[in-house]
Amino acid sequence: MMMNKWLVLFSKEWMELVRSYKLLWVPLVFILYGAMQPVTTYFLPDILANAGNLPEGAVISIPLPTAEEVMATTLQQFGTIGLLIVALSVMGGISAERTSGVTAIILVKPISHFAYVSAKWSAMLVLILIAFAGGFGAAWYYTAALFKNVDWHSSLLAFLLFALWLGFVGSLTLLFSALLRSGAAAAACALGIAAALALTASAFPKALAASPGMLPQAAAERFAATATASAAGAIANPWLPAATALLAMAAVLAIAAWAVRRRPTLD
Amino acid sequence: MDLTNSQIMTIILPIAFIQLALTITALVVCARAEQTRGPKWMWVLIILLVNIIGAVLFFIFGRRQD
Repeated sequence: MMMNKWLVLFSKEWMELVRSYKLLWVPLVFILYGAMQPVTTYFLPDILANAGNLPEGAVISIPLPTAEEVMATTLQQFGTIGLLIVALSVMGGISAERTSGVTAIILVKPISHFAYVSAKWSAMLVLILIAFAGGFGAAWYYTAALFKNVDWHSSLLAFLLFALWLGFVGSLTLLFSALLRSGAAAAACALGIAAALALTASAFPKALAASPGMLPQAAAERFAATATASAAGAIANPWLPAATALLAMAAVLAIAAWAVRRRPTLD
Repeated sequence: MDLTNSQIMTIILPIAFIQLALTITALVVCARAEQTRGPKWMWVLIILLVNIIGAVLFFIFGRRQD
């Protein structure tokens, strides 16, 4: 019975993803950015040579990066543009429905606030997973075609760690969407916290070894690890930040459900 | 490794195709929308002229949700 209600809510969220075209454009944009990173890296010398504003006879020699380095820079790309798109597509999740009164209509029925929030959260996670799998897959395919095959073991681990980071920031956006009135403010808060976490984690890697901000770094290090095995000692333990991120996501869900319960409508 | 022209095409074509799909979807959604936030011709220009981001901007900010 409980499960049935939850599935109804989930399919409502899924319909919403289809009708707002998010299920189409979010994966497409991820795939485009994932594919373009290795391709532009590969053709960079040609692009520069054809740019036209170089003096006659200028010789450009850019060392071609290794396949692992290409994958690491692709992750960086997803860390900026990918995060932005995740936050922007999730930002209205609760605040818009609350303003329009949909939340109040739904919660009049005997449905728990937690089910309402968690259905939204699950639909968001599925969307992020589909989009990031497409983008990461495109990057992986083009890197293998143009550079070299990247070890799939470390790729899979990097994929999971980075997907967790995207999901974590998406959850933060959903939380602020439940706490704040404006969707734009929710996206700004979530992105601000994500940037602060990533910055502090890279500044103090020892003290903040368990911070979720370590996740993007830990994911990129999966590729560094195979490139230079000698640096293996310096590589952070990825399980600690992963566990913290999962705990934080559970807490975020609980707080968001509480916020929706306290104020189902605005005004 | 040096690539022949046809090899370069097999690399570029899928990317160009996906980009085209994104642009066309955005244009169709824009054309079929009853109302957009701001004038429609402005959104058409943004979608066509701003690479990738233009379509994203339209999907996020251009549509009115009722």
